[in-house]
Amino acid sequence: MNSRAHTGRGLAWALVGPTLALLIAFNIFPLVYNVVSSFTNAELIGGAWRSVGGANYARVFEDELFAGALRRTALFVVCAVAVELTLGFALALTLQRDFKGKQVVLTTLLVPMMLSPAVMGLYWNLVLNGNYGVVNQGLSALGFDPPQWLTDRDYKFWSILLIDVWMWTPFMMLIALAGLNSIPASIYEAAQIDRASRWKVFTRITLPMSAPVLGLAVLFRATDALKQFDLVMAVTGPNDAATQTLSTLLYQVVFRDGSVGLGAAFSCVILVLVIALATVFTRYIDRVQSRDVSA
Amino acid sequence: MKSILWSVCALFALGLAACSGENPNQSGAPAASASKPSIKIWWFQWDPATGLQELGREFESETGIAVEVQQIPLASYQEKVFLEFGGSRTSFDIVIGDSQWIGRGASSGLYVELTDWLPTVVDLATIHPRAAKYLCEYPEGSGRWYAAPCETDAVGLAYRKDWFEDPAERSAFQARFGRELTVPATYEEFRQVAEFFQRPDAKRYGCAMPSDRNYDGLTMGVQNLLWAFGGKWKDEASNKVVGHLDTQGTVDAIEFFKTLMKLGPNGCERLDYGQVLESFTNGSTAMILNYFAFFPGIQAQFGDKVGFAVVPSHEGRRVASLGGQGLSVSAKIPPEQQEHAKRFIAWFLQRRVQERWITKPAGFTANSAILASPEFRAKTPYNAPFADSVDAMRDFWNVPAFNKLLAVTQRYVGMAVDGEMPTAEALKKLALEKERILKEEGLL
Amino acid sequence: MKFVRWFVLLVYLALAAAPLAWMALSSLKRRDDTIAPHAKFLPTASPVDDPASPWFEATLAAYRDLGAVHAGAQESFLGHLASSVVIGLLSTVASVALGTCCAYGFSRFRVPGAKDWLFFVLSTRFLPPLAVVVPVLIMYRALDLQGTHLGLIVLYTVFNLSLAVWLMKGFLDEIPRAFEEAALVDGYSRGQAFLRVVLPEARTGMAVTAVFCLISAWNEYGFAMTLNSSGAVTVPAYFAGLQGNIEGMPWPQIAAGALVFVAPITLFTVLVRKSLLRGMTFGTIKQ
Repeated sequence: MNSRAHTGRGLAWALVGPTLALLIAFNIFPLVYNVVSSFTNAELIGGAWRSVGGANYARVFEDELFAGALRRTALFVVCAVAVELTLGFALALTLQRDFKGKQVVLTTLLVPMMLSPAVMGLYWNLVLNGNYGVVNQGLSALGFDPPQWLTDRDYKFWSILLIDVWMWTPFMMLIALAGLNSIPASIYEAAQIDRASRWKVFTRITLPMSAPVLGLAVLFRATDALKQFDLVMAVTGPNDAATQTLSTLLYQVVFRDGSVGLGAAFSCVILVLVIALATVFTRYIDRVQSRDVSA
Repeated sequence: MKSILWSVCALFALGLAACSGENPNQSGAPAASASKPSIKIWWFQWDPATGLQELGREFESETGIAVEVQQIPLASYQEKVFLEFGGSRTSFDIVIGDSQWIGRGASSGLYVELTDWLPTVVDLATIHPRAAKYLCEYPEGSGRWYAAPCETDAVGLAYRKDWFEDPAERSAFQARFGRELTVPATYEEFRQVAEFFQRPDAKRYGCAMPSDRNYDGLTMGVQNLLWAFGGKWKDEASNKVVGHLDTQGTVDAIEFFKTLMKLGPNGCERLDYGQVLESFTNGSTAMILNYFAFFPGIQAQFGDKVGFAVVPSHEGRRVASLGGQGLSVSAKIPPEQQEHAKRFIAWFLQRRVQERWITKPAGFTANSAILASPEFRAKTPYNAPFADSVDAMRDFWNVPAFNKLLAVTQRYVGMAVDGEMPTAEALKKLALEKERILKEEGLL
Repeated sequence: MKFVRWFVLLVYLALAAAPLAWMALSSLKRRDDTIAPHAKFLPTASPVDDPASPWFEATLAAYRDLGAVHAGAQESFLGHLASSVVIGLLSTVASVALGTCCAYGFSRFRVPGAKDWLFFVLSTRFLPPLAVVVPVLIMYRALDLQGTHLGLIVLYTVFNLSLAVWLMKGFLDEIPRAFEEAALVDGYSRGQAFLRVVLPEARTGMAVTAVFCLISAWNEYGFAMTLNSSGAVTVPAYFAGLQGNIEGMPWPQIAAGALVFVAPITLFTVLVRKSLLRGMTFGTIKQ
């Protein structure tokens, strides 16, 4: 029994070791670098570092840039996930039953999810262009006065949201569908025998049983939406006050302005937020996964 | 299952082997340099770069040094170049950098100083003083050179000559404005013509000019009006901004720019150089302000239907936004490469080569003699206005922190143009920001 | 009810597929037709004179152009596609392999500090890549990995690991230990039990993980643009570089390239679609 435990231990480290080592290497050095350089005036083109004390952090908290980017990113995440979840779930409900051509429909619906956001953002510039874009041409043909999707400061943000919804609703749909499919038919049959109304079936059976999966999908999508970078770069560039998210702000500060020290200060603050979010996330996963284990 | 696993592992090992065998740094690896000398030049992606490559082949046939011109997309050109400079050795031997970069290149030791060497290979008097001042010299007035002029450029006016010459249009214009439809010489005339041609229902628009927020479009677009209306970015002597930037002249310039934004295609308050070009080449816009480097392409497409002129003036003041880049030698390359690079520059600046350069698509020279010559002026419809524009061109900041100054200018002027903030207030804030940046850099 | 269901489905299908259809049409146009003030959506074989007509002359020039090396460029689009394929495939294989092993370790063994380790692994997924680009760049410069295929493969593997570990742990937790116990009793070693008994059961999970890792690596842009700007350039970085093209954007080529780029992923997803659907519950619901 003892020798088993020992080989067990050795094997365990052999299995998890490489992964952990890689993650440490790629996360610890950047962390140390960011913390150290955030107290200096490091520049992208090199040159000697000079300590500036807490000046960078003062900038982070005083300057409207960071607060604005944070606000915009939060708004983006909440709206994107909410819309994608609702639409995705609704679509999954329609796709529950089998029908002829279901596979084709499913595959077509999945394509936007597999496209590269950087490429698609670029392409949507063509579609939403105020002059030769097909959307505006269609709208004017129908008699509307179409808005300038990409240049009007009230619309830019929502245009990016629209593209994101178009791209990622299929993902939510897929997960919702998997969740719905895993609800045993026997429960539905029992409900039918009890002559429960459609609404009751939906609220008492369908929703609660797919909630855990949907919750995970929400968290999965939220973590990606937080990092939103590609679409904003492709549609408006990183220096646009209406659409600047956390990642594009970082890009502007580090690569366009060349202020590595200031960017590092931003990164450290973002890291703190990340850890807070990750804590919430892991607690949720633990709760969901342990629920099944204990059952 | 097992067989799949093994084949995957084998594939993986193969792939890994293939990758590690590859030569990682195309940049630094002087791999086969012993066999053939060569230099690499970085420029951004446009026609003149292709023209330079053609000249490069002539250089190779004369000297045996191979020349490779790499064209980097403009949107990320600045980042990529400065990212390269952050390393120990740059991919390129010569970088054809934007005129604004010169302060940074000089003071951070990224560009090789050419002050002593350049006069030995070319007569400095042949270089147009404005080109010298803005493309090659830093600090201003010091006589120290860090770049040799490559492409001299300025903003000019291109217009639909066929629309201007159409009799029906001419009489309608006469009836409406009480004067003849001519190529606008002042901004007031420009606005009137734009108003006249602005017919959105017929998909016709008056004017378009750079206004993009990403890199430098908006600043370059506004600049054409800025100095003409009596505004300025800073006090010429010192680097003081407050009290100079936020003056009535600047406010007037931006307000006028805003009125022009209403006389263009949809979304014209956010057009980059390529989009300005598109609005003209898709046949919908009457006039555009854009860099002369684009005009050869327009000429090729429109032939007799297009005409060219210098930018309009205001109250007698005419200033064109400067474009253009200079050839700079990277300080982060081995000495022998620096020699090859210098050799190319010396070769390029010769009069006979400059005369070949102007035959290349959108190759514009800074050689004063050529610019003044009647043959040059008569050669193409855009040459004469170009030569005139060179006398009137001015540039943005070129101090080392220019990129921060540019980013903050784009932001605040953008807010003013979009109506998000009253112009006077935006300019005040901009001036304060700029002084803060300058103080941080020790330039104020 | 049935009508409502069909209506919703069809409306969404139309809205979702429309941009794709337009992209396919754009890839067949000449550049001038893509920016024409009057939209053109009907392809025909012969040249069209009237600029206001909705007809346009269809051509495959954009697709042929994908194989051409443009002036001043190092490679053609197809060269970049090859880089994307190599980097995408290899990093996916690596992350799935490493992730499965790691997840198995955490799932079946008592690793000291497992909870904290798993928290660490998960938190790496939340961090925006832009926050670590500069130090990674410095590391890569020192190791001479900048602008290489290997560099991005390693980087993508690392950044997909958290996803892989998280997904696979969920799937592996589902597989009853009884299977391995039986195998061990039968005389298999732990390693053999893992390979012969557990992995086949985890196929579904591995398919799901592979799809997401591949999509993530295939479409990644932030790192590709900053680290590999002059060597081993992948397709997203190449396309994004076309932005703000001074000569005007080559829309037909962008459309053609985007379609060609998404084709391999679509193919891969279609091949594993059954596993995909079954496995998308991330191990939260017992099958």
